[in-house]
Amino acid sequence: MKPAPFTHHRPETVPEVLELLEELEDAELLAGNQSLGIVMANRLATPDHLVDLNGVDDLAGVEVTDDEVRIGAMTTHRTLERSDRLAERLPMLPEAAEQIAGPSVRNQGTIGGSIGEADPAGNYPTALLALGGSLTLRSLEETRTVPVSDYFIAYMFTDLREGELIESVSVPTDPFPPERTGMTFLELKPAAQTWPTVSAATSVRVAEPGADEPVVEDVRIALANAADVPLRVEDAESIVEGEPLSADTLEEVAATVTDAVDPEGEMHADREYKEEVAGEYAKRSLETSYERARTDQC
Amino acid sequence: MLEFTGENEMEQSREELWDYFTDTDVLAECAPGCKEMTLESSYEIDAVMAVGVGSVKPEFDVDVVVTRADYPEALEMKAVGHAPRNEFETTAEMNLVENEDGGTTVEWSATADVSGTIASLGGRALKSVTNRLVGKFFSCMQEKAEEGVEAESELEAAPADEDVALESDEDVALESDD
Repeated sequence: MKPAPFTHHRPETVPEVLELLEELEDAELLAGNQSLGIVMANRLATPDHLVDLNGVDDLAGVEVTDDEVRIGAMTTHRTLERSDRLAERLPMLPEAAEQIAGPSVRNQGTIGGSIGEADPAGNYPTALLALGGSLTLRSLEETRTVPVSDYFIAYMFTDLREGELIESVSVPTDPFPPERTGMTFLELKPAAQTWPTVSAATSVRVAEPGADEPVVEDVRIALANAADVPLRVEDAESIVEGEPLSADTLEEVAATVTDAVDPEGEMHADREYKEEVAGEYAKRSLETSYERARTDQC
Repeated sequence: MLEFTGENEMEQSREELWDYFTDTDVLAECAPGCKEMTLESSYEIDAVMAVGVGSVKPEFDVDVVVTRADYPEALEMKAVGHAPRNEFETTAEMNLVENEDGGTTVEWSATADVSGTIASLGGRALKSVTNRLVGKFFSCMQEKAEEGVEAESELEAAPADEDVALESDEDVALESDD
């Protein structure tokens, strides 16, 4: 099908975007157009106006400062995948980016679009939850910062208000010193171009990377597509913290994650299978993150 | 047919809560996505609500009829909503149960028939979002009661023979199919 008729707007600055959102009734923001176009073609959404962000250059780019990484909402998956600075500071993000669909989607799709869509199977929502990131949301009236953990409310339902734009994503780098942190984004999917069945995003910070069995100081475990929102499993994190990673604690993590998740069965993966995979992937990704942390390979 | 159920604990007594649940000004402020609410008679409400999931958020014209109002224990309403390419019909029931500590457990349940673009999102999305919205509704009600916002009971049950008012649209459609 073709989408219902709409008016296309192509502003060039953030203030112009916000003015348009304020003034137009029934407008949707268009980022990389890797999902909304399909939704509109199926007439699931029929906005009267599309405010296309692709001409707003200010919204794209990766900025690394001493204490945080800031990523503009219109930064493409491809840019994130290929960013050397990100690979050094927060390698989970390029790893999450390179596993998204195929090259054409990665060339067009953006981090802001993914966060705006808020599919619980999406890669960035879960990676950013594991990293303790926050979002800068801007409207004509105010600019507010929302932790990723508060932003995702229900299935494709977020804290984004009417007239608001996702401007950027920030991740504090303090908890992740590269020389003793390892992180991974690991996903299971039936085919490269499709959505993952389950993904696990983990990071591990150890006390002494050179030691035989370094003690885990800080650990983050988040799952995608394992509940109606990206899910962080703090109960599993506390099992790992304070001692070296062992086969026993890994088993305990897997069991805890399997209990904590609340996935909906899908055609190719029923509920029970997804619960089990979530546990297994949490475990495998933790092993990798720990290995990277102790071997000075972020 | 989708079915939703849940329970919410509230601190106020059910007599106190009753006024809040039957005051359309309070309902209008707490009902998620509510843009307008008009009390047409003691048992009929007209509302405009924009509810949806992601970029799918149709604006519904909603007709509500109160089908049961047993002070202070039970409230039942039927509602029909129309939006371009979307329709829903729902029956929602609420039981207020007295707790030992003086508070109230609100047991609610609803069945809904949804058709159109919203329905194509599937039960998964709808349940997830509905649960969230209902939770939000009750915490808003609780807040109003705590703040001591003035509330006045305005609703009563429709007379038995008025029950048909809601079904008119669908009946017409069904009849024309026959």
